[in-house]
Amino acid sequence: MLRAALLRPPRFRLLRHRGPPAPASPPPAPEDYILLIHHILGLNKSTVSRTAEIMALKQISSNKCFEGFQKVFEHDSIELKCKMRFGIYLPPKAEIGKCPVLYWLSGLTCTEQNFITKSGFHQAAAEHGLIVVAPDTSPRGCNIEGEDESWDFGTGAGFYVDATEEPWKTNYRMYSYIKDELPKLIKANFPADSERMSIFGHSMGGHGALILALKNPGKYKSVSAFAPICNPVQCPWGKKAFGGYLGSDLTKWEAYDATHLVKSYPDSHLDILIDQGKDDQFLSAGQLLPDNFIAACTERKIPVVFRLQQGYDHSYFFIATFVNDHIRHHAKYLNA
Amino acid sequence: CFLHWCLELALSRSTPEGLTFYHMDLYESKGRLEIFPEEPAGRGDGALGETSEESTGPGEDFRSSDQSAYDLEKEVDELTKLYGLDEDKEIDQELLGVAEQELPGKDSQDESQPLHSARAYDELHNHASSKEELRSDDRQDEQNIQPNSEEEAADIYCATCKIPIRAFDKLFGDHKDHEVTQLANAVESAKEEIQKNMCKLEEQVTEMENFASHLEEIFITVEENFGRQEQNFEMHYNEVMQTLTQRYEEKVEGLGEEKKQKLEALYGQLVSCGENLDTCKELMETIQELCKDKEKADFIKAAIPVVDRLGEFLKKDMDLELSTLPDFEDRVIDFSDVQQLMDSINTIAAPSAPVINPQAPNSATGTSVRVCWGLFSDDTVEFYQLYYKQVSDDTPSEEQAAPSPPIIKRKESRSCENGALVCWESGNMNPVDSYTVELSKLTNGENGDIITDSLINPNLDPAPALQPSVSLCLHYLMQFLGAETNKLQPFCSLVGTYFYLNEDTAHPLLSVLEDGLTIACSEIENLECDLSFRDNGFTRCIAILGSMIPFQGKHYWEVEVDENMEYRVGVAFENTHRHGYLGANSSSWCMRHIVTPARHKYEFLHSGTTPDIRITIPPKRIGILLDYDNWKLSFFNLDIAQHLYTFNSHFQHYVHPCFALEKPGLLRIRNGIAMPTSITLL
Repeated sequence: MLRAALLRPPRFRLLRHRGPPAPASPPPAPEDYILLIHHILGLNKSTVSRTAEIMALKQISSNKCFEGFQKVFEHDSIELKCKMRFGIYLPPKAEIGKCPVLYWLSGLTCTEQNFITKSGFHQAAAEHGLIVVAPDTSPRGCNIEGEDESWDFGTGAGFYVDATEEPWKTNYRMYSYIKDELPKLIKANFPADSERMSIFGHSMGGHGALILALKNPGKYKSVSAFAPICNPVQCPWGKKAFGGYLGSDLTKWEAYDATHLVKSYPDSHLDILIDQGKDDQFLSAGQLLPDNFIAACTERKIPVVFRLQQGYDHSYFFIATFVNDHIRHHAKYLNA
Repeated sequence: CFLHWCLELALSRSTPEGLTFYHMDLYESKGRLEIFPEEPAGRGDGALGETSEESTGPGEDFRSSDQSAYDLEKEVDELTKLYGLDEDKEIDQELLGVAEQELPGKDSQDESQPLHSARAYDELHNHASSKEELRSDDRQDEQNIQPNSEEEAADIYCATCKIPIRAFDKLFGDHKDHEVTQLANAVESAKEEIQKNMCKLEEQVTEMENFASHLEEIFITVEENFGRQEQNFEMHYNEVMQTLTQRYEEKVEGLGEEKKQKLEALYGQLVSCGENLDTCKELMETIQELCKDKEKADFIKAAIPVVDRLGEFLKKDMDLELSTLPDFEDRVIDFSDVQQLMDSINTIAAPSAPVINPQAPNSATGTSVRVCWGLFSDDTVEFYQLYYKQVSDDTPSEEQAAPSPPIIKRKESRSCENGALVCWESGNMNPVDSYTVELSKLTNGENGDIITDSLINPNLDPAPALQPSVSLCLHYLMQFLGAETNKLQPFCSLVGTYFYLNEDTAHPLLSVLEDGLTIACSEIENLECDLSFRDNGFTRCIAILGSMIPFQGKHYWEVEVDENMEYRVGVAFENTHRHGYLGANSSSWCMRHIVTPARHKYEFLHSGTTPDIRITIPPKRIGILLDYDNWKLSFFNLDIAQHLYTFNSHFQHYVHPCFALEKPGLLRIRNGIAMPTSITLL
């Protein structure tokens, strides 16, 4: 008991924001303050910094789950220029040390809530000691004309690209958000090992995971997907979204198409696991096109295991069935 | 208080010069010391070693009291100022290409050469006032530090005053003659200082942790010692009390006896007294009667006996002396030996002689003998001395030839990390009493230390408990006096799982090459009736079974194939249909590969069904992991450490590895190897 008391890690107090910063020039990044505090208050690398809410993060909810915590935070995004929410699961191991991070990208019409409430991933994440971050699927509340007209374009359908066309290009920068801003935020506020991260997702999020991994070799230790949109330039969803966000230049489209990106992927140190429901309506509707991707990977000698699951559809029931396999797949590389 | 004291002790022991450490309270104390004492901004040499960690009690989450938050903010403010880090930030921002005003210092430096002192004084004054603002304002207001007229931020560091100043001030202000360095350099060195001290702090933490655990041990030891002493005292106390009680009882009993005696004596006297009294009284009455006016003749007749009686009675000796005294003799309890007992409390009894265990069979060799003895736990023994002497020098009356070494049936032996099945034949005409199996660790092929040895009854051949990575040697000893033969033959390794191929089960077209682990399929000729099928062999599937793996746990082996090979590899029960195909029934599980014109096709077959799986890179080296404990059979592409598929199947019996070829070619098997680390993670 004495020992436990003495070894208790130091805890931070809340540093409340004391009023809006006034200056015209952009304020110093919150992470810099955190680094300053860490440095001064004598934290060594093995000490955990408790989730310190600084002016950027606001906790929306927290629920204990499998001895870890499923939390939801909101922050002001610099890339998306609006308030964004994300879910983050902190496994019990995060109390003791840094953990690797697994990013989940959700599909069309989803928010940060769907994955954390429906997929049942917590047990596997707790067991393998992984932090799981689930952001929203698009900027919200930006009041862009036409953003709510369809469920497969605009709100809830960011497609994880950096838009170049008006009126989307100011806010719809989900690619940069996931690639840069979110990891930086996570690293600054949570006990995350920034050297070890992986990414996976469903449908549009599966497309997002694949392109982020293929466009950033070495950044992610592993990637996997559930029913991903593998070849958006060839399917109705992709054509609509890319046309709206990226304009009519096809080369810009190909930069966000997994099947195309694979053709020029530099090395083959990527182990891809894909689960696809055989009874998925969108598969038969030609929205997903996994065969094209597999053929490209076979050609390019990228390791893929693609499992066509008999009887399963596109829903979260399908995700819940196989999410443990995926987490184990990632844990193999993240905990190596 | 005790703990606090200890921590102080720890801290003071190791406080180097120039660093101050603050107490790490176990419980939150409102009267916490500040990180830095209030000092003028001149103290900027980076002598930092403090921690402001505040350990809150268990189970508490963030402290959100504004007061403490404000305290921390204030401290951060001070630190920021001390290190001039807000200025530093401006430099950083410039480096990052963020559009900021040019550092005013530089600008004014260029322009300011010809400036006259009035302006310099003005700016200096502004700078000084801005420093004032810095000291008292909140962190937020740092943004508004700009003094009145223009942007004036410090950009160099005055080492003499130990504050950041503007270059302008160096030339024209108080710091004219002072030593200056680049602000960046100053920051660097300050940061280095902090870094160094942080390392010291880390060491500090480790030391304290060690001390804490040491304390814990001492705690426990104190408890134990206390317990022992308490017991000791209690025992002695009981002894003493018992003795005293005994003595007391004895004496009291004696006293009682004495009383009884006295009383009896007195009672006796009383009784005789009473009797005498009665007699007296009776005589008197008789006499009185007598003297009442009676006839003279009657009177005389009656009076004479009475006179006689009276005379007799009066002659009797009245013992009117007390037979006993009312006083009792003094009794004293003898405490002499109790004193002895008291004195003996702290003596330690001499240890009891050890009890030598009877000699175990096989515990002696020609040059050594193993002696075991028992020790009483209450004894404290420093050391034992063991002496020996030769008792007799007999030679055995009959010579017996040493038994010949057993013949080990290698083929029928099987092993894995958790056990081994060893079969041997005796090779002796005369019965051997026992076998000893010794396990030794093989180092570079030489026999190393003997790890364990065990006795094996020749009638049984179960495997002793084994550890992985040791080589099993058979080392047998004879029971006869004096004679002994050692022959160490390593014959099986316990790394990984070893099995052999059972040629009895092979399809006629399948042959096992000389190494025993490569199978080959010869050209498939036309008619089956030309082939000679084995009784226990496969007839349709060109397959072969390996020997059973009868041990629990995980087993691993590898298969090497050519990209164009068509094969089936997996496991099957002993009784799997010899007329069937591997994977087509419920008694076999396998991975199957065939090549179609379009692509490589992979199936994972059991009971004739397979999931629909596409694999983009055809594996050349396949790892197969059989896990009895978790009921899994997994396949891996070893070249890229990729997991291919896992069967989740409750194996009702032990299984045999099975292999089949579907067209001419070779398939190489590797077993008795350890699982690669990339796979152990799954």
